[in-house]
Amino acid sequence: MDDEYNFSVDDAEREAIRVWRTWRTVFEMLQDRGYEVTDEEVKIELDEFRNKYVDEKGYPSRDKLKIQARPTEAMKAKYTPLPTPSNRDPQPDCGTIYIEFCPDDSGIGTKQVRSFNHTVDEGNFHTGIFITKTPISPSAVRLLSGIPGRICEHFQEQDLLVNITRHELVPKHVLLSPEEKMRLLARYRLKESQLPRIQVSDPVARYLGLRRGQVVKIIRRSETAGRYASYRWVI
Amino acid sequence: MSSDQPFLKTSLPSIHAASSRQSNSSPPKSRPSNSRRSPLKPKQKPSKPEADPRHLAIALHHAHRIQAQKDAQDLILDRILELVTLPSSPSADPATPSAEDAHNFKAALVPFQPADYDNLIQERNIEGLCGYCLCPHEHRKENSRGTYRITWGAKGSGPGGRGREMNIVPREQFEMWCSDECAERAMYIRVQLAAEPVWERRGDDLRGKQLLLLEEGRGSAKGKGAVRDAATVKEVLGQLDNLHMDSTPEPGAVADDISRLTVRDDAHSRELAVERGDQNPAFQGGRVNVQIQEKTDFSKSVTAPEMRPGDEKGGSIEGYIPQDP
Repeated sequence: MDDEYNFSVDDAEREAIRVWRTWRTVFEMLQDRGYEVTDEEVKIELDEFRNKYVDEKGYPSRDKLKIQARPTEAMKAKYTPLPTPSNRDPQPDCGTIYIEFCPDDSGIGTKQVRSFNHTVDEGNFHTGIFITKTPISPSAVRLLSGIPGRICEHFQEQDLLVNITRHELVPKHVLLSPEEKMRLLARYRLKESQLPRIQVSDPVARYLGLRRGQVVKIIRRSETAGRYASYRWVI
Repeated sequence: MSSDQPFLKTSLPSIHAASSRQSNSSPPKSRPSNSRRSPLKPKQKPSKPEADPRHLAIALHHAHRIQAQKDAQDLILDRILELVTLPSSPSADPATPSAEDAHNFKAALVPFQPADYDNLIQERNIEGLCGYCLCPHEHRKENSRGTYRITWGAKGSGPGGRGREMNIVPREQFEMWCSDECAERAMYIRVQLAAEPVWERRGDDLRGKQLLLLEEGRGSAKGKGAVRDAATVKEVLGQLDNLHMDSTPEPGAVADDISRLTVRDDAHSRELAVERGDQNPAFQGGRVNVQIQEKTDFSKSVTAPEMRPGDEKGGSIEGYIPQDP
């Protein structure tokens, strides 16, 4: 019964690989959203990940998995609202992001979310992403989205095992800056409510961290036209 | 937990009425229009044409309702977080809870829906506690990997009074509680909660406000039965006394009553608006403004239409006279 003997080792190995893949997707997500991450961080190899984040039993230690990243200048420009007569020099609506993996295996409720909220508040982070292994309770979800002035998102590890935007059937989504959005609406003489829509809970919208009122450009390949761009309003 | 103060951060009186018991006795009869006092107050811009005040009022009304819903949900979340920490002492007995805990528990549950109560139970289980809020014990944990558990009832509880009753229970449900008694107590509370959300409840709706713990419910059921036996005869006789037919009212009184039965009664319609939660003036006459004008000029006498020249050929069509081919 070799299987029986190797069970725990295999289990640890599988767990480590799962967390490594999630970790890589998280960095790809940060890069796609426009945060400052290095290429080495994004393309971390399994062995290197193992050296850094795996404990002596072979299991990944999730409490070491914490990320902070600052937005790039390009991202800041995208998130800066248009100047208005009352506010001539608007500040970008984005900031440092903080990502934490929850070490608990099951039963994630308000207790863990409250401590995460506290960390985000303490560190004065603009955005927080809480990654858990199992689903979290409904009241915890509500608590997570309840910090005024901060954005907290939640992902399950299994949602990030594979980077969905790298799939061949998923078209490229590009966020428009407020200025580009204004030009688009002026070009087609539209109101934003006349655009097609995309939900905030859409998997790609969640991946890109889109917010209500933004507009994404979706570029798909077309057999007849080569490339076809459509625009969607996030609701 | 202060149950006696209004706890909702909303300006909608209907929400207050639904969530606090005190407002039952004196429902707000009339109220100054508060629709102008709002966070969404639009700025008066010289360049834009001024918004239609009626549209503005309707938009504000809906914005207030949505805000009230959000506030109510926040309140429920706060209540869940508070109730997770009950009971106050670790040695409390779930069968005889302290009066303060029981009062807090019942007061906090008033705005809950059954689904919120389920969330509360789940939250307590995550903390490792029994799902019943007045029980300080830990919930049961099963070591076996099975998805279902077989539970046996007391002796003589089976079909026909013989043997034991058998139930097959999913493991998650079995592990919610510390014991079957606590499960019964918690479910006894759950069925008393009102199914509709707090912002849709009416002020005089008593469901979900007078909660009874299982022990109280059983106690009062027994007490009521005992008192009833003694009181029945007397009560019935007393009620029979009141049951004589009223003498026919005078014709003048009837006319008075009828004159009061007008369709447009401002006081009543305002009361009705309060009751429905449309306290906004925009809703008082319904959403569509119907104006009926009676015809007053009867001086012209009506004559039958006469043939005019050319009518035999079909006449003109809006001024165009068709030519013969």
